[in-house]
Amino acid sequence: MTILYLLLPLSLLFVLAIGAALCWAVFSGQYDDAEEAAEAILRDDDDGAAGSAADGPRRP
Amino acid sequence: MLRTMAAFSIFATARALQPGERRQRRHALARLAIAWLAMMQVMMLAWPGYLRHDGMPADALATLDWAIVLMNWASLALTAPVVAYSAWPIWRGAWRSLRAGRAGMDVPVALGIAAAFLPSVHATWTQRGHVYFDSVTMFVAFLLTARYLELCARQCAGEGGRHALLERQRAALGAAADRVASRFVPAQAGLALIAAAAWALVEPALALPVMVASLVMSCPCAMSMAVPAAMAGAHAALAREPGMDAARFDALVADARRRAGRNLYGSLAWHLLMAPLAAAGWVQPWLAALTMLGSSLAVAWYSWGLARPGRPRGTAGPAHAAP
Repeated sequence: MTILYLLLPLSLLFVLAIGAALCWAVFSGQYDDAEEAAEAILRDDDDGAAGSAADGPRRP
Repeated sequence: MLRTMAAFSIFATARALQPGERRQRRHALARLAIAWLAMMQVMMLAWPGYLRHDGMPADALATLDWAIVLMNWASLALTAPVVAYSAWPIWRGAWRSLRAGRAGMDVPVALGIAAAFLPSVHATWTQRGHVYFDSVTMFVAFLLTARYLELCARQCAGEGGRHALLERQRAALGAAADRVASRFVPAQAGLALIAAAAWALVEPALALPVMVASLVMSCPCAMSMAVPAAMAGAHAALAREPGMDAARFDALVADARRRAGRNLYGSLAWHLLMAPLAAAGWVQPWLAALTMLGSSLAVAWYSWGLARPGRPRGTAGPAHAAP
């Protein structure tokens, strides 16, 4: 059971990392508009940078 | 088309938010996320404490007690940020209303958190007694969930175009809600202390959980949600049909008013029903927090029914649903 001395701090470190990642995601605005990505596919103007990148490399 | 669709979800972010409102919403979400994250971990760490009973073999008991001490320290490490950061709006609100000399709804909540957290820290330090870290984190997480819903409803309502007559209804109903809460909270807090004192004489081990559960029950978060959520629903319905005629508009306002009133008194009745159960020691603190979340969700769902497309106006919806 002495393995707990290793496992408990390890799990706390994991939680810390998850919490830090969550905070980063929230404060960088990733949850500001949850519908944006779902609506984007319904829009017609897909000639932006993302649209041309999705076409893949052009063949000569 | 897309804009009108978005207006019907309570979680739809109002696009015209001021930078301050946006920051407030991000902070609220971060506090909520940390509380939920810590809650799940602490619940797991609390599990060995629930397994322990005196009928176990002595060597197993010794090992378990050693493990529980470690788990308690880990729980403390996880609960401290929840109490310090996630619950910060509660401390601030309680301090503000105490300084203003009235018992706002944050006061019993803050009392409940402190009453569960401080003895738990003491028990962890002395390695004796029961800890309530799981109750503290669950309570904070559920309460913040209800408040986040309220914030979303409020921000949606703020975006949906101001209308003078709606606004007036809202002011009148808000005043009624404040009046109910200002009588209700001190009475309930007093009741919690009396119940705890009575239990301390009969069964001291139960006094603390009973007091925490009763204080949690006295949090009128569902009541505080009742009016804004209603009004947000009416705003959304109005935004969907800007050109509705006067008769239908009157029907909508009457419906919104009826729903807000029903929400308010429904949640009050629910509180009164649960309070004796909490005082009798049948409701664990985390269960009390869960019922608070449930009643808040019921209020939000019922109010949002007003704005659901395809629903005939002016008919009574389902009664206030108990979770």
